[in-house]
Amino acid sequence: MSRLETRGLVIDVPGRNGGDPLDLAVLPGQIWGVLGPNGAGKTTLLHTLAGLRSARAGSVEVDGLPLTRLRRRRLAQCLGLVFQEHHDGFPATVEETALIGRHPWLSPWQMETAEDLALAHRALARLDLAALGGRQVSTLSGGERQRLAIATLLAQDPGVWLADEPTNHLDLHHQVAVMRLLAEQGARGRGVMICLHDLNLAARWCDHLLLLYPNGETCWGPAESMLVPEVLERLYGQRLASAEVEGSRVFVAVP
Amino acid sequence: MIHRLSGVVGLLLVLLAGLVGQASADEVCAIDDTGREVCLAAPAERIVALSPGATELLFAAGAGERLVAVVDHSDYPPEAGELPSVGSHDRLDLERLVALQPDLVIGWVTGNPAEQVERLERLGVPVFRIEPREFEGIATALERLSRLAGSKAQGRLAAERFRQGLAELSARHEAASPVPVFYQVWDSPLMTVNDEHLIGKVVTLCGGVNVFGGLSRLVPRIDEEALLAADPEVILAGGRGEENRSWLEDWQRFPELTAVARDNLFFVPPSLLQRPTPRLLEGSRLLCDRLEVARGRR
Amino acid sequence: MGGASPRASRGHLTLGQLALTLGVLAAAALAALGLAVSLGSVTLPLGKSLAALGGGGDALSRTLILELRLPRALAAFATGGLLAVAGALMQVLLRNPLADPYVLGLSGGAAVGALLAMLAGLGSALVSGSAFAGALTATLLVFGLAHGTGSWTPSRLLLTGVVVASGWGAVITLILSLTPSRQLPGMLYWLMGDLAHARAPGAALGLLGLVCLLVVPLGRSLNVLARGGLQAAALGVAVRRLEWLVYLLASLVTAVAVTTAGSIGFVGLVVPHLLRLALGNDQRLILPACALAGGTLLVLADTLARTVIAPEQLPVGVITALLGVPTFLYLLHRSR
Repeated sequence: MSRLETRGLVIDVPGRNGGDPLDLAVLPGQIWGVLGPNGAGKTTLLHTLAGLRSARAGSVEVDGLPLTRLRRRRLAQCLGLVFQEHHDGFPATVEETALIGRHPWLSPWQMETAEDLALAHRALARLDLAALGGRQVSTLSGGERQRLAIATLLAQDPGVWLADEPTNHLDLHHQVAVMRLLAEQGARGRGVMICLHDLNLAARWCDHLLLLYPNGETCWGPAESMLVPEVLERLYGQRLASAEVEGSRVFVAVP
Repeated sequence: MIHRLSGVVGLLLVLLAGLVGQASADEVCAIDDTGREVCLAAPAERIVALSPGATELLFAAGAGERLVAVVDHSDYPPEAGELPSVGSHDRLDLERLVALQPDLVIGWVTGNPAEQVERLERLGVPVFRIEPREFEGIATALERLSRLAGSKAQGRLAAERFRQGLAELSARHEAASPVPVFYQVWDSPLMTVNDEHLIGKVVTLCGGVNVFGGLSRLVPRIDEEALLAADPEVILAGGRGEENRSWLEDWQRFPELTAVARDNLFFVPPSLLQRPTPRLLEGSRLLCDRLEVARGRR
Repeated sequence: MGGASPRASRGHLTLGQLALTLGVLAAAALAALGLAVSLGSVTLPLGKSLAALGGGGDALSRTLILELRLPRALAAFATGGLLAVAGALMQVLLRNPLADPYVLGLSGGAAVGALLAMLAGLGSALVSGSAFAGALTATLLVFGLAHGTGSWTPSRLLLTGVVVASGWGAVITLILSLTPSRQLPGMLYWLMGDLAHARAPGAALGLLGLVCLLVVPLGRSLNVLARGGLQAAALGVAVRRLEWLVYLLASLVTAVAVTTAGSIGFVGLVVPHLLRLALGNDQRLILPACALAGGTLLVLADTLARTVIAPEQLPVGVITALLGVPTFLYLLHRSR
């Protein structure tokens, strides 16, 4: 169980002056969605929360401790990240990649135990990748690779999940499966924060929303209070129509 | 076009014939070490030597005062060091060379860049290439150079003195008992000479047997193991400069070598052996003496 | 290398696989060392070689085996192992499979040091010392230039190193063109890599052993680092610290190798590649395997260099390339 908080946090987006300070807390069990147009700083925010880049002002705390005071290994036990981009310079198998998620939990002299291997296998199975364990990562499709990144995070099993567009490249079935997995993590007491482009996924799965405007303005709160067509139209600079389908709100861009 | 060209050629031929006819009284000719005959209308007045060895030979042949330029590292005789340099033997400063307006250039068959020397010839500068590989080649080089430089008498004298000195050495050591010899040209990498090399011939002259004489390359690179197996009775080393004994001391690592056990580790000043010049006689005397010392230690 | 057994069990690394693979490679290394000790320009019967190894036999064979062949073979092994390990480390550090131990200009600095010492006519001990000083200078120069700017990335380090390396190249050419021709062969042999004067392999062997021990706890972090800096940081690796450690370690290792035997090319680039093709990319396996296989390759290459046209000698760098290029191309062709 970890609790992620920001205190007066202003993220460092190159070429943008100012910005509203963020004072929010991702509590265990909460599913946060981060919405905003391209370039609003969603990825920058996630990287700042994970301690991968420094903030312009303010601080990020995990369980009351500033990130800068935590050792990286301890931090990786509290907090994990699915990246939007995946690099592979060197050959690696799918199984090895999932197993890497166990890194923060092992001491330098330890080999992966049978339990770590079982966790990795379970994570792969959960994302329909069990059959691909021996495949080279470079031979995977975009969607398979995306699921592998999520499986790696599942094996890492951190207290807080940060996911940068986890549904990228995924077919509809796997989009739903991944969102259900993230919701499950919330139900297990993990804090979850997801950058999303799809308003409807956000509306369906998130209980809190953070809106990032290109000029640095922000607003956040419970999802139902944020899902107001006028607010979202201003966020994206795009006219929207909305309707109720099977009990949840659906937004459609109107040209 | 062809017509006009043939006209030019004709004119040149007439001129040439006139020159040859006119100069025949003073004309000097000699055959160089590549077999080409080089003729000069008159003995050379402004000579450039493209190897330190050629410089030494020219001085020995009495043509020293006709030298106008040398190449780097031409350090003998000392007067040679005062002459201007036209670069290193393997990278000539052609511009400076041509500006000196030489009427004869003494080239080095394998030491100078062939295409630079050919360029020089195309510019009309006569080039006489030498590279003696035998004792007799040194003697005739003295004679041939003195002929081209108009110092015939001195050249012949120097050649005779050289021949005579070698003949004496040869006579003295002809019947001497053979001594297995290793001659060290360089230490890193370890290099020696074969029997075709002039130094190898000096070893033979003194009654030595070059333990690597049979190798095919003139200056072979060998390993220490081969030397240990060959177990020479004498190790002769040149060195980086003069009186440098560090290469010899290095062999003390192998006390089981006969040469080490008998302390037959000798320094021979490389400047006396490495150039095909009359100083080789001095070097040969020194080398022969060393082998005599080794014979005395048996 | 490329045996069937390690290839078949390509999955995640197990202790069993580690032991088996390293055991096979260690046996190959021992065999290569045995071959190197029993072959030379002098033919010794096997019995004599063995007797000499045990301290018996006649004086000549004892000198040949114990004072010439064994130290040289061990030096070759240490140098090859160090170069291969340094290459593997540099490749992970720069996230670039084309990196080799010399890519950041270290061998250039060492070469300038060595050639200047040779030009001054200094003895072989001083040449080695000067080469080592040159290598460290090159390392610190690149470190300072890449570090001084504040933020750095592997590509920035690579660019700095490559530019500095070409600067060293120019200085080397300058030295060579100013050198009297008598001294050139020694310099060229040094530049091509030559083990003739590697007499005391102790330091290099010790470092090789130490590095192999050191990379055991670092291995998994390096695996993560190979996935990229951000990913590694997100998985709990102190990236900046690890990268500088790897850089300094690889530099020290390369400096010792270059000081022992000049800049032998090819081993550091290709041995890690060959092993990755055969064994996957787990650094805990690859790094010690590099130490063994790189050492074995150089021992074999040096044995060939000593014996092919014995008693004349070839520079070992030529042999490593002649042996390695076709092997590498063949394996690359087969793996696709």
